[in-house]
Amino acid sequence: MNQYIHSFQSEWLKRKRSLASWLVICGAFFTPLIITTSKIVRHSMLASAGRSPQYWENLWKISWESMAVFLLPLGAILASSLITQLEYKNNSWKLLHTTPQSYRVIFLAKLSVILVMMLQFLVLFNIGIYFSGVLPGLLFGVPYPRQPIPYLHFLAENGRYFIACLPIIALQYLISLRFKNFLVPVGVGLVIWILSIAVLHWPYGHWIPYTYCGFNYLKDQAKHHQQFPPIPFALGYFTLFAVIAYILYLHQKEKG
Amino acid sequence: MQAKRLVLQANKACWSKTTARIVYTGFLCCMEQPFLLETRSLSHRFADGAAVLNNINLQVPAGAVYGFLGANGAGKTTTLRLVLGLLKKQRGEILLFGRPLESNRLQALSRIGAMIESPSLYGHLTAAENLQVLQKVYRCPEARIAQVLEMVGLAATGNKKAARFSLGMKQRLSIAMALLHEPDLLILDEPTNGLDPNGMIEVRELLLHLNRQHGITIAISSHLLGEIEKMVSHVGIIHHGSLLFQGSLADLQQERAAGARMILKTSDRQKTMAIMQAQGMQATFSQDAFSLPMPGPEATALLIRQLVGQGVDVYELSPIKNDLEAIFMDMITN
Repeated sequence: MNQYIHSFQSEWLKRKRSLASWLVICGAFFTPLIITTSKIVRHSMLASAGRSPQYWENLWKISWESMAVFLLPLGAILASSLITQLEYKNNSWKLLHTTPQSYRVIFLAKLSVILVMMLQFLVLFNIGIYFSGVLPGLLFGVPYPRQPIPYLHFLAENGRYFIACLPIIALQYLISLRFKNFLVPVGVGLVIWILSIAVLHWPYGHWIPYTYCGFNYLKDQAKHHQQFPPIPFALGYFTLFAVIAYILYLHQKEKG
Repeated sequence: MQAKRLVLQANKACWSKTTARIVYTGFLCCMEQPFLLETRSLSHRFADGAAVLNNINLQVPAGAVYGFLGANGAGKTTTLRLVLGLLKKQRGEILLFGRPLESNRLQALSRIGAMIESPSLYGHLTAAENLQVLQKVYRCPEARIAQVLEMVGLAATGNKKAARFSLGMKQRLSIAMALLHEPDLLILDEPTNGLDPNGMIEVRELLLHLNRQHGITIAISSHLLGEIEKMVSHVGIIHHGSLLFQGSLADLQQERAAGARMILKTSDRQKTMAIMQAQGMQATFSQDAFSLPMPGPEATALLIRQLVGQGVDVYELSPIKNDLEAIFMDMITN
């Protein structure tokens, strides 16, 4: 356990100033910034919106609209690939594999960094949503929204989106560990992501592992009412991809 | 001056394990010479079936500076990558600190500092941050970071990212990373690649200092024979995947001295040959010159007297070079 913690700290340092860490920050605040700007432009509607009993749910829904289907899957594809590819880019697999760490610890520490970055993204996105909900009102002297923030609902939704991302993270991690060329994981990720958008209306779409963020967003719409449980599917795919990734990583003939 | 400065800085650095290591190495050397790194019948083939290594029996004694010499593509890097577990072993045995690599990988790696081929650095991080990445893994004191940076002369790099370093600075940072956890064995693959002559001298002085003052065993591969000759105590010469020689540098030079030859150029080939045959010398002739086993001083004087006495002009009489480069070239061409 101690070795894992130290390994995680070491891996966490590597993401400092990396493109992936900037992507997390910029991606998390992108949609809230757009919403804030739009609210400022249409500030005459702020007062009536603030009195709505569904104020936070509506804001939540608007914020996740583009995030669930487009930005979150794309961000997960890019961040997972970028973090893993740091070693190829810096020619440092050989450095990492000559440190006294077991392969299991290295594998888990790297995967954990990506997962924690995804959590970091969700936290920042939630902060962004909150500010997009209150900042325009403060600027134009509109009272604070009447409805209390439904923390538990948001927490549950965050959890669902996080789990929905796991298959993307695991498959991107698998591919990024295998291929030196950055274009391979990103290319494969983009193809599956485009496919996942195309199959959202297909009855068997839920078999495509990158669809769960979209399905989670659409779950309340009657025509998308799902006959399948997305969370167990996502967890199942994540476990499958992670186990395959570990086996392939362990049996790599060349480790740097 | 710079080299001296680096050595002085290394001297100042706190080396808690050093005394124990020197005493231990000295003790082992008195008992018998143990090998910190040993391979037995190590063989390797690429996926296409081409043999890269044939029965390599590498033996790096404790306390040695072992020069692993070979031309590009001879199998040096492959051997070192196998030793460090970066390549999956196919045949043979690898022993580190007297124990098999497979069952002892993590313990062995915790005592090894390595630099294989080009420097492995995180370009978006500073020198100190690169070291911090390893400091977390090795769990050594944070103070070591400043010490090793001082040691390799990179203490003043501040916030400059490693990607913006010159190749020489990258090499030095890589060496600092290999030294961070005070290893017992340093494995360096072509550490002076890309360094200017001054940088080469600095690295050489630093490695010699680490070996002599701190008892660190060093295995260093290179194709720069002149450079290696100035620092190694032991030599292994590899060519086309086979180890042609292994032993101390003195042994190698002594062995080669026994077979030393000289070159003789004269104005009359036939007369010269007749005189040498009369003296019982076995000479061969090629490219306008005779090559013959190095005679003793009296025999040389007699030969010159007879040649001059019979009106033969002596243009050149010189020993064939016996430095490491000549020995190496002689070995791999024969």
